[in-house]
Amino acid sequence: MELRDLIGSIEFPKMALIIPELIVLLTGFLIFTLDLIFKRANYRLYTWISVVGYFMAMLYIAFNPSLSGSTFYGLYVRDYFSSFLQFFMILLTIFVLAFTYHYYKQKLSLYREFYYILSFALVSAMFLASSYNLITLYVALEGVSISFYILTALLRGDFNAKEGAFKYLILGGLSIALASYGAVFMYIYAGSLDLQKILTYSGQNKDLLILGLVFFLIGFAIKIGAVPFHFWLPDAYQGAPTPITAYMASVGKLAFFAPVVRIMPLVQEHFAYAWVITVGIISAMTMLYGNLVALVQKDVKRLLAYSSIAHSGYILAGIAVAKAIGLKAVLYFLVAYALMGAGSFLLLALLERNPQWENRMEEFSGLRFSMPWIAVSFMIFMFSLLGVPPSVGFVGKALVFTALSFDRLWWLAFVMILSTGISTGYYVRLVVLTFMKESSKSIKVESSLAEKVVIFVLTLSVVILGAVPIIIWSFASQSADILFKR
Amino acid sequence: MEKLGAQFPLISISMLIPTLGSFFVVLLPERFTKGISLISTGITFLISLYSLTLFDFSKGDVVQFYEHYPIIPELGISLSLGLDGLSMLMYLLTTLVSLVAVLWSVRDKQINHRIKEYFLWFLLTESFLIGVFASWDLIVFYVFYELTLVPMLFVIGIWGYKLRLYSAYKFFIYIFISSLFLLLGTVSLAVQHYKLFGRFSFSYFDLMNNDYPLGLGIFLFMLFFIAFAVKTPIVPFHTWLPDAHGEAPTAGSIVLAAILLKMGTYALFRFNIGLFPKVVAFLMPILVLWGIFSIMMASWFTISQKNLKRFVAYSSISHMGFVVTSMFLLNLEGFRASIMEMFAHGLTSASLFMIAGFIYNRLHSFNMDALKGSAKFMPLFAIITVITAYSSMGLPGGSSFWGKFLTVLSAREYTTQLALLVIAGAFFSVIYMLYLMKVLFLDTKEESRLVHFADIRGFKLSAFLLLVIPMFMVGLLPSLFFNIFDMSVKKLLLYVMHKLIGG
Repeated sequence: MELRDLIGSIEFPKMALIIPELIVLLTGFLIFTLDLIFKRANYRLYTWISVVGYFMAMLYIAFNPSLSGSTFYGLYVRDYFSSFLQFFMILLTIFVLAFTYHYYKQKLSLYREFYYILSFALVSAMFLASSYNLITLYVALEGVSISFYILTALLRGDFNAKEGAFKYLILGGLSIALASYGAVFMYIYAGSLDLQKILTYSGQNKDLLILGLVFFLIGFAIKIGAVPFHFWLPDAYQGAPTPITAYMASVGKLAFFAPVVRIMPLVQEHFAYAWVITVGIISAMTMLYGNLVALVQKDVKRLLAYSSIAHSGYILAGIAVAKAIGLKAVLYFLVAYALMGAGSFLLLALLERNPQWENRMEEFSGLRFSMPWIAVSFMIFMFSLLGVPPSVGFVGKALVFTALSFDRLWWLAFVMILSTGISTGYYVRLVVLTFMKESSKSIKVESSLAEKVVIFVLTLSVVILGAVPIIIWSFASQSADILFKR
Repeated sequence: MEKLGAQFPLISISMLIPTLGSFFVVLLPERFTKGISLISTGITFLISLYSLTLFDFSKGDVVQFYEHYPIIPELGISLSLGLDGLSMLMYLLTTLVSLVAVLWSVRDKQINHRIKEYFLWFLLTESFLIGVFASWDLIVFYVFYELTLVPMLFVIGIWGYKLRLYSAYKFFIYIFISSLFLLLGTVSLAVQHYKLFGRFSFSYFDLMNNDYPLGLGIFLFMLFFIAFAVKTPIVPFHTWLPDAHGEAPTAGSIVLAAILLKMGTYALFRFNIGLFPKVVAFLMPILVLWGIFSIMMASWFTISQKNLKRFVAYSSISHMGFVVTSMFLLNLEGFRASIMEMFAHGLTSASLFMIAGFIYNRLHSFNMDALKGSAKFMPLFAIITVITAYSSMGLPGGSSFWGKFLTVLSAREYTTQLALLVIAGAFFSVIYMLYLMKVLFLDTKEESRLVHFADIRGFKLSAFLLLVIPMFMVGLLPSLFFNIFDMSVKKLLLYVMHKLIGG
């Protein structure tokens, strides 16, 4: 065979589909190269390069929402769902970037690695959201995880950061090992690496599939922070620099949930019941545990970390309903939590810039007087996390209730009511402290314009997207319909 | 149910005006705050009176001023606002009581800090409350129902008395958790509608067509009932109320007692009876007896109170017992009694809380023993107190008379024994009111504590008059009010009977 024929038979990958990823990756490489060339780091330049690069990628997605297809021989899939998630991932990364410079400067740990590691994390997260292939998923999972370990440990002088990162490293490594172990079983079962083919394959040895799927999902459950695999999460979230915590709680959540959400439409008759029971029980444990432990926390950052676990539980409750309505609820809630989680942690990041601030609960008393607008936006985030209408948190919960009621999973609905009831305790306590207790100590932070804008946009979006839910809903609904039609 | 579209979006405007007012309160300096609040609540009240003139009484069962804006078409969620006879009455009560609350707060000595925030919350509450009574979409109803919690949390927590933080927590946690059941129930109804008709809908009109097997019906009924029983409250679920009402500032208590409790009974009437007629008929004996139990227990609790505000709060529970009892008797007189009592109690309880607040301003105490003979020096105030107390106990000519009288009549339609039970409940409420009057007027004051009390005047007097005049109107010219809601009540009763016979 001539070489010419060989080349002719190879389909050239459709690069148009992965342009956003390429832009983000190139942004990272550009900063990396600049960092090699210049002796003195120009942080402002790096920030701007990142923002411009991410913004371009985001615009590309925003203007080509219906771009879909698969490339690299099925290793990569772009569809409505992945575009939808990637858009929010990039947007939230830009938001997080606005907070990093001043924060790290105040903590005396400004490192330039941060900027390109952030883009590698982002690009891996984007790949995680857009593949059915086990190998791609594995590589992307590793990419996100390794970037997160480093980003968590970036406060080099801080003991908590080291502890959190180390715990994250060990449990994260375990999770990836489990996920790949599960992938092996699934490969043996179906002889394919494509999840779609594996799950729709009707082979003889169904036990292999179940075993593989269980291991694979446990791997992701660790990443998500589902109980009983959550032990790393509070420590990593607390130890990490707070903007990174916001990053993990928003982009990380979106990324790690994406493959699980992709599996939802593929749940087959023969293990549908097992799916509901297993995911339902894990979800119930996660919500109850997260909320109960959050109730006794004194440190607000740790409290919000536990609340993040609890929210994973609510999302898992939607995942337990492997139907279109469940997927829509999950997608809405994912984006809702990404916005709320990012907002609440970024607010903490802003407050931490004051050297006296230690994230203790009592410090919130009197915030109403020293920083009224920050207090108002904090209140809105708390009410949204609690699920008071008209916020995204409320719409998300209402949609999950709809899904649960659709499947008549009353027990899970009641567990959700119970755990939301428990969560009232700490969210309302924070609001009460902020607005109704007065304190002699007044804490002030000078915030930059970018930070103000980001907080404002996030606060407003939490309210507006909840009051006019059709904006996210139409995207979520469309992507769910496409996933289910496939 | 028929709908009559609005030529002019009157209800959304009356919801927007207080919200707009709250914006101005935030933006303008503090010296304008009270004026803006008074003007915006006043305008809203005038709009509600104007809408009464536009209201077609001969079509009281039709939803009038109907507006419809889709929110999520795929899930059948839409902002649909409108008033039928029943919601019209509640709408009037809301705007009236909000005006009274703001009028009272203008001169309340308790409100001496964070004035802008205080009036902001009251204006927002008014908007939300109008939303509660005017919305015909269950999710939108839920949104407004929950939203009223937030302003009250702040009002109790910031401007309340000693135990304010504890009470604010308790209030929020109780109502929030109970209304999560309501949320589950609401979405379950929509899902049921999907399973029956192939599309989601949260619209009240669509959900009325739903049909359930009795078991599922009872389950869904209970989800709704838990939320509204806590809100109303019915006796074993009432423990949040004395704290919240007792510790809130006067205007907060007014809004809480006069309107927020009505949300519970209004919703019981609208949703539990309107959407689950068969279940209600099935559970009727239990619900009626439960209501009577609630009346009696609450009356006993009331008699043993030493704190005037808690006294009034407990008396509210017993009145709500009447509302619930007569509602679940499921006949025309019962329905009329229930709604009349809601309106009447809105007026009397607001007035009673203002009396308590007034006395506190003069005496700095709610302790009944300290109040002995305190009305002696304030003739005008004494007259108003007497009118309110007699109205509240149900003396003929007073506003509560019709509620109680018609309850007895409707109970008589079943058995005389039931009517006697209701009369016994009414008797208790007379006891505690007479006890209050005895403490206030007949007991002599110790000489050493004799102080000169200035009588009621100005803003506070006008606030009282705004309540006392309608009280007389209800008592003496009840047909004015029956005309507003009779048609819608008859329609509902017809619908319930139709459902019971038809299948």
